[in-house]
Amino acid sequence: MNGLLKVLPPFAPDQSGAVSALYEMGGLIVICDAGGCTGNVCGFDEPRWFRKKSAVFSAGLRDMDAILGRDDRLIAKLGDAVSQTDAAFTALVGTPVPAVIGTDFRALRRMAEKRTGLPAIAVETTGTGLYDEGEEQALLALFRTFAAETFPVERGTVGVLGATPLDFGSPRAGELLAESLARRGWNRAVCYGMGSGLSAVRRASAAEQNLVVSPAGLKTAEYLNRTFGTPYAAGCPFLPEHLEKSLAGLGGKRVLVIHQQVLANAVRDRILERADADVTVATWFLLKEELKREGDFRLTGERQFARAVGDGGYDVVIGDALLRRALGGYRGAFLGLPHFAVSGGPEKESEAAERR
Amino acid sequence: MRKAYCITAAELAERGRSGVPDELVSSAHLIYSSPATLAFNSPGARGFGVKRAGLAVPGSVMLLVSPGCCGRNTAALGGPGYGERFFYLLLDDTDIVTGRHLSKIPDAVREVCASCAAPPSAVMLCITCVDALLGTDMERVCRKASERAGVPVVPCYMYALTREGRLPPMAAVRAAVYSLLEPAGRRPDEVNLLGYFSPLVDGCELYPLLGQAGVRRIREISRCRTFGEYREMARANFNLVLNPEARYAAREMEKKLGIPSVELTRLYQLDKIRNQYRLLGEAVGAAFDDRRYYDAAAGAVEAFRRKYGGVAFAVGEVQNADPFELSLALIRYGFAVSEIYGTVGDANFAYLKKIARLSPRTKIYSNLSPTMLCYDESGSDAEAAVGADAVYYHPRLPGVGWNGERQPFGYAGVRALFGALDRALGAAGRAK
Repeated sequence: MNGLLKVLPPFAPDQSGAVSALYEMGGLIVICDAGGCTGNVCGFDEPRWFRKKSAVFSAGLRDMDAILGRDDRLIAKLGDAVSQTDAAFTALVGTPVPAVIGTDFRALRRMAEKRTGLPAIAVETTGTGLYDEGEEQALLALFRTFAAETFPVERGTVGVLGATPLDFGSPRAGELLAESLARRGWNRAVCYGMGSGLSAVRRASAAEQNLVVSPAGLKTAEYLNRTFGTPYAAGCPFLPEHLEKSLAGLGGKRVLVIHQQVLANAVRDRILERADADVTVATWFLLKEELKREGDFRLTGERQFARAVGDGGYDVVIGDALLRRALGGYRGAFLGLPHFAVSGGPEKESEAAERR
Repeated sequence: MRKAYCITAAELAERGRSGVPDELVSSAHLIYSSPATLAFNSPGARGFGVKRAGLAVPGSVMLLVSPGCCGRNTAALGGPGYGERFFYLLLDDTDIVTGRHLSKIPDAVREVCASCAAPPSAVMLCITCVDALLGTDMERVCRKASERAGVPVVPCYMYALTREGRLPPMAAVRAAVYSLLEPAGRRPDEVNLLGYFSPLVDGCELYPLLGQAGVRRIREISRCRTFGEYREMARANFNLVLNPEARYAAREMEKKLGIPSVELTRLYQLDKIRNQYRLLGEAVGAAFDDRRYYDAAAGAVEAFRRKYGGVAFAVGEVQNADPFELSLALIRYGFAVSEIYGTVGDANFAYLKKIARLSPRTKIYSNLSPTMLCYDESGSDAEAAVGADAVYYHPRLPGVGWNGERQPFGYAGVRALFGALDRALGAAGRAK
């Protein structure tokens, strides 16, 4: 049955991606939920919650708020919270409750701006989408709102778009990306949302080039290109060290790489640099046409996934170890490549799978 | 940076129950969930929320019918005994508006049962805010699914929207897990303990005290290994309700199975525990001899006080105690309580008033207030922390989370708490 998961748990939802993109921006983020979504976002999908404070709050909606559509109460609470904390802007993030009752987020955003005097953004996530859809929406809204001024281009500065712990697992991904880019000759790497905040977003036009490290960053890169003429490229400058070691010896093999599209593409490129192999990329998440090669495909369900792997005759599958569960009859090799948005664990399961 | 809001016990008591400031009323502000208090507003984030609690029925599986986001953290429950028991029917944008997913549920339940290595004893059907808003008649859907799959199908309402309503999710799920019991011949020497999804601590005096009253079998759902053992709970002479969230379940059991109930409260004041056992004895027609349990607990308190003196505690609410009752107990034992992180309500305002008399300057904070983002421990006089939240706010103090799954109760709870505090303060070299 479509939509029935018997082996895999659900992956990170759109509201988690939205919060992840906004987490380090210094805004006051309100998840428009009753409480459970905030528990999932902060307690499960946001590893930074346990290390780095951010003003992420639940709207604490109750049944009568939803039934009567008491947006004014929400905005009054938002106003109070703004007066009690230090926030540069407010962000309203959707969940299934506003999706069911048809909340008008544009109106809510305007009400928030009027009440608080701060800029506001609204991300109309519904909880039915996947994390990168929310991340994409949030990034675009953020840059449209704050990257308004044209600064002189700083040669040697690269902007990194689409990096979150959900895409890369480690809360240190921003540092790792910056280090890799420094090794490639960039003087300065600005990793938006991981290590740099709102002031960097405001100065986005100063970047010489943008690097899109996950499909969620692509629309924003296009927007910055249209607005400021900033060129962009897609690619991932580093791969997990443990994976680099296991990529040797794939010559002549048929390989399926499963991850977010940009990282999966980078793994493919690295394999092909080393050996002549037949490598296909698949993803449960956004599959951008402009980043796709022939044969790449999107995964949509457990049964389709198992069938695709079985019918594809792959010798090696590279992906988050949790996915192995859905491949009961698969006899080939499985190399772990953690994807936080899949398993919610950066390394544990994938490393264990490799050891097996 | 701003300051976290707090109010002294004296000021709060003076304002009265109806004058509690908005900063302490969760419905009046946005909700902050620190890493230590995530489960307070979102019980499923840690420990037992509706999803894990629903699987208390031995041999059952759960089908979560919801948008993907509601089942996301279930991967964290993938430990022993849970990983293979969760299934998901994901709703898309059209489903959540039209409710068309309801017609798919019976077939989904059948497919889930067919995929299990052994037929499940029941399918717990967990539904969320979406169906709360759609007004789904889930009893009817469950009946249809049960007919289709040939197993009992029970609704578990994970309606976070109704958390402060007449029947909050954690009360409803307690009723759900006992709803599969069928009337059976009652046994005068059998008793059920209701309220928790994990057992009381071994060594709890409640077991031998009930033995003094002639009780031979004490059942807790968490100790039932099979569905057959679970069904024997229907034979109990009475239910002991140890957590107010099980009150509704007990009432339902009385209606359906004729099992009456008696409620006990988890307390840390020794004289109140003794009084409660005396009243229980009167209710069941037995005079409990609790002297040795009382003496052991009182001895643990006294030994701790001799060793560490009048320690000042920060007391939180993410723990196996009411923070106000525990604070009152600590103050009455001769310790100090510099601050309490807690939610003031009808049930504990009486404790607050007593605290105000004995320790008027004790500060009261609300964990859920957005201002707690600005909490600064440097202004605190606390020397030790009790409760996972208090430990989070005071990472440099010796502390005890006191939020384990095994449930402390009665004198055994007091003894165990002071044992844990002794270990924590001893390790920090705080003995006098």
